[in-house]
Formats: sequence, structure tokens, C-alpha cells
Amino acid sequence: MHTQFFGNFLLNKGVITPEQLIEALKIQSTTHKKFGTLAIHSGYMSASEVADVYITQTHYDKRFGELATELGYLTPDQVDKLLTIQLPNYMLLGQILVDKKILTHIELENLITEYKSEYEIYELNMMEEQKNMVDKLLSSLYLPEELPDTQNIISYLTLLFNNLVRFIGEDFTPLNVMTLPEVPTNFCVSQVVDGSFSFMSALDMEPEIAISFASRYVDEEFEKFDEYVSASMEDFLNLHNGLFSVNMSNDYTMELHLQPPAVHENTILATDSPCYLLPVIYSFGTINFVFSVTRSEPPQQDDGEISDL
Amino acid sequence: MENIKILICDDSVLARKQLKDIIKKCGYDNFIEASNGQEAFDLYKEEKPDLSFLDIVMPVKDGVEAIRDIRGFDPKAYIVVVSSVGTQTQLKNAILEGARDFVQKPFSSSAIAEILKGRFEGR
Repeated sequence: MHTQFFGNFLLNKGVITPEQLIEALKIQSTTHKKFGTLAIHSGYMSASEVADVYITQTHYDKRFGELATELGYLTPDQVDKLLTIQLPNYMLLGQILVDKKILTHIELENLITEYKSEYEIYELNMMEEQKNMVDKLLSSLYLPEELPDTQNIISYLTLLFNNLVRFIGEDFTPLNVMTLPEVPTNFCVSQVVDGSFSFMSALDMEPEIAISFASRYVDEEFEKFDEYVSASMEDFLNLHNGLFSVNMSNDYTMELHLQPPAVHENTILATDSPCYLLPVIYSFGTINFVFSVTRSEPPQQDDGEISDL
Repeated sequence: MENIKILICDDSVLARKQLKDIIKKCGYDNFIEASNGQEAFDLYKEEKPDLSFLDIVMPVKDGVEAIRDIRGFDPKAYIVVVSSVGTQTQLKNAILEGARDFVQKPFSSSAIAEILKGRFEGR
């Protein structure tokens, strides 16, 4: 789970210039992943071992996997596994920067370690306790059998629970997910997300409860229901969906587009698809998440080509 | 510092307030605010701010379109994107249109302070 795009990280670090980044992004779509990059990404080989294989390859006309096996860096099983895995965007970007001699393999390896430790705070640095708690919450949650695209929805809910812990507090209990044709609302903010996985998401609660929710989110005591309270709900939903889209882009090369949040009061939420209602009980009251998948296509398949095989 | 004018454009009144609070702590207090890309462009033309913070996902006109308009009007405009949607495509589009930096929400005080330093240090 990466909450910031790797290119932006490199830019902020001053490692590359905006021109170099744009150039690398332009050729990214036509670049094939390299076996060495895959091996580093999977943790099977270090950058210096990969460099060693590339040097050896200049002397022998052999494939990378074959040489790496002969040199004892990979087992045949690992070679098979590497042939089937997907490379996240940030690794491909890193590979291009190495090819263009902007970075060395070692520098890339160090930068990726730094990137992950800075930005994978939820997943890697997240206290083991929280991870266990979220896993437990998810496994105990009853999800309707007819749920479309379960994998994406589980990613979405995992992030949602983590964001609730991070921004609102961990004293919550999710109830089972209910399937409804439509959902009556109290004070509700919704946001539509478009892409190969399109959905409508909404956060609904009573105004009194929204005051407590906003106070926790902003870390400021709100006394009455005002524009800041309403904006807090919109902000939380927008932030959550934004982070979800970043994760989907990084991990599955899926580009999602967020529409601006909308506010509804005492109305009925409905789409052409079933709505899933997830009530979450906090000590200050119940907040409701509503989710409706309007379009779901299988994720873009990797073409499987590896250029230096 | 009072002459330095900063444009903050975000459809969330909360996000604008939070950004302003951080910038005020850094010593800047002259703000103009917009809640969508069109307002930002209109205000930019009138006020010519020294630094502009723009969100991406906004009604009426989104951040990327607003950057295009503003840079078309003033190619030297110094624009920083602050968004929750830091995906590769968004970043690429924003930089191609001329954004100088991209800050992922939730933003930290230090990230904003760095930007102010980068923009105004040595003026």
C-alpha cells in the first residue's frame, strides 16, 4: 500500500528532475519489465547480484534466469514464479531510470527501501496489533455472497478500517454488510469513482453524530453542525477514495477518477446496482458506509513479456 | 512577507482552513481563496498571486484544467497541487501542465513549509 506515487517521491527528494520524470513516464507504457527488476522486487536477489548476472551475460549468450540459477542466485522454482508475477508501476519506473543511467541498481534499491518505509506506514510500520485487528475485523465480517469483485472490495474495506483507525479512532465495531436496493439517508455525503472499477460510495450519519465524527477527524471540538462538520465528512470520504485510487494505481495499474463529493439530506440513495450498507458503531454513535459497484472489469492483464528473458 | 499573496483553491472549506493555518504559522497571511478551478483562474487573473495551491478533484473545473488556464495566462505561475489522488496519471498531467510540485493529502506541516521555503527563500 503506497500512499504516494514513487515518481513524486523521487521528485521531492531531488533525485530526478521533472523533465527526466516526464520522459521516463512517456516511455513507461512501451517498456517491458526486466527479469532482474522482477528478481529485486520479489526479494529473491540483491541489486549487486543482478548487476553480476548482467555482467556475466555479456560473456555468455544465456538467459537471465538460466545464468542466475547457475550462479546460485535463484532456484528453478523462483524462476518459474518470477515469470508469472506482475511488476508494480514504481518498479518499472525505477528500471527505466536505471536504463537511462539516471540511477544505479544500488541507488534504486536504497530509494525503494526508503520509499516503502516512509509511505507504507499503514501496512509495514502499522503496529502489528492494528494489522491483526483489521484482519480479524475483515475475517469476521459477513459479506454478501453475491458481492461483485470481492478482491477490490476487500482492498477497499481494509483501507477503510485502517483509515478509520488512523483518522477517527480504533474504538469501533463494524456490523455485517447488508444488501439493499436503496438506502434512506440522514445527513449523507457521496462520491462517485469512475474507471474499470466504478462505484458510488457514501458516508451517512445523524447530524449530532457528525459533530463528534468531525471533532475527532479534525482534532478540534465542534459545538454545532456547520459547514466545517459537513466538510469533514466530505474530506474523509474524498481522502479515503483518493488513497484507494493511489493504491489501485500503484498495485494494479488501475486508473480511477474521483468526482467531487456531493451532499444529500434525508433522501434515498440508489444506483442501478444493489447498495451495500456497512454500519460501523463508534462510542459516539453509528456511522454508515454505503457502497454500490456500478461497473467492474477484470484488472488489466500483464502482457507477460519480459525483455531480457 | 505581507506583500506575498497566496492562492488556495480547494472545494473543501476544511482543507482550505487547514492549509491556511499551516501557512500562517510559517509567517504568511495574505490569502485569496477559491472553491473550484474556474474561480481560481478568475481570481488569478485579478490578483496575480505569488504562489497557488490547487486541489485536483473539484466541481465546475478541475485542478488540471485550471493549471492549463492559469499557465496559459501567466507562463511563470508557480502552482503546487495538493490532492488525495496522487496517482501516476494525475501527477503526469499536472506536471505536463506546469505544476511545480505535488503534495499528497493528508499533507504534513513540514511538506508545506518546504514548498514555501523553495518558493520564497532568498527573495
